Amino acid sequence: MLDFIIGKFNFWFYVILMAVGLFAMLAKRNLVKKLIGMNIFQTAIILFYVSIGVKKGNVHVPIIVGGHGHEGELIQAADYLNPLPHVLMLTAIVVSIATTGVALAIIIMIYRRYNTLNEDEIIEIRQKQLEAEV
Amino acid sequence: MIWQLDFLFLILVLICALAAINIKDLLSAVIILGAFSFFMCLLWAEMGAVDVAFTEAAVATSVCTILFVGAIIKTTRRSKD
Amino acid sequence: MKVIILIFVILSGGLLIYGTMDMPAWGDPQSPANSYVSPRYIEEAYAKTETPNIVSAVLADYRGYDTMGETTVIFTAALVCAFLLRKNSDEDEDKS
Repeated sequence: MLDFIIGKFNFWFYVILMAVGLFAMLAKRNLVKKLIGMNIFQTAIILFYVSIGVKKGNVHVPIIVGGHGHEGELIQAADYLNPLPHVLMLTAIVVSIATTGVALAIIIMIYRRYNTLNEDEIIEIRQKQLEAEV
Repeated sequence: MIWQLDFLFLILVLICALAAINIKDLLSAVIILGAFSFFMCLLWAEMGAVDVAFTEAAVATSVCTILFVGAIIKTTRRSKD
Repeated sequence: MKVIILIFVILSGGLLIYGTMDMPAWGDPQSPANSYVSPRYIEEAYAKTETPNIVSAVLADYRGYDTMGETTVIFTAALVCAFLLRKNSDEDEDKS
């Protein structure tokens, strides 16, 4: 039973972290708070992917031991961590920063036009503007 | 890959996430998000993903926090929730 | 409204936790992700690319075009930020 919990509790924490991010994205009315929730959500998913490549026991990080000058030695795959999830998630982290930057630029534009960051107030102002146009 | 250390970092990450979405002041929330990213970086270094940890420490912890702080200086700190 | 969202989030989280019961245990060296594609990369990366760091070898040599496309994404994001945040002089004159 204890082995089962030790083998699985990391995944449960990732799910809880993802649920926190999803709740912040759906329930909070402030736009910056929604963006913070999106960041937490993304980080939880990246964490899940990186944890797939982990191997327990006596393994090295994915850098060849000895480096240059040890060409003749045989490299065993079981001695090194799985490098592929690391590579893919490196790309995902950098793309997530680009997404955050564009979202923050749009938030600044919204604040310049409506002078508030609260979603309900923005919808109210927008409805008043539409009624005034009609 | 020591599971006790893993558990400690995951608890700290979860506390940081809950504090970041519940605090009223946006600037404090963003600084706590920076702490969240830093604990995440420690977690990745502990898992053996050193390149991901470097990228997180260089990009998410610094650049993301700077972008958020710049946006909050241009807009407002106050938040109702 | 908040109660509905909370119930939805707890339900989806419970579904995902139920899904983790069939996952291989955390850090299992024999799991499918660790035993099919990655051994080939680990064994051949140093002989083929002369780079001791396997992550750098895969990122810059095996997936070089992918990394080039990523820089295009960053460039587009920077361009969008610059266009959104520039001071539009015509608009300012209209307001004042």
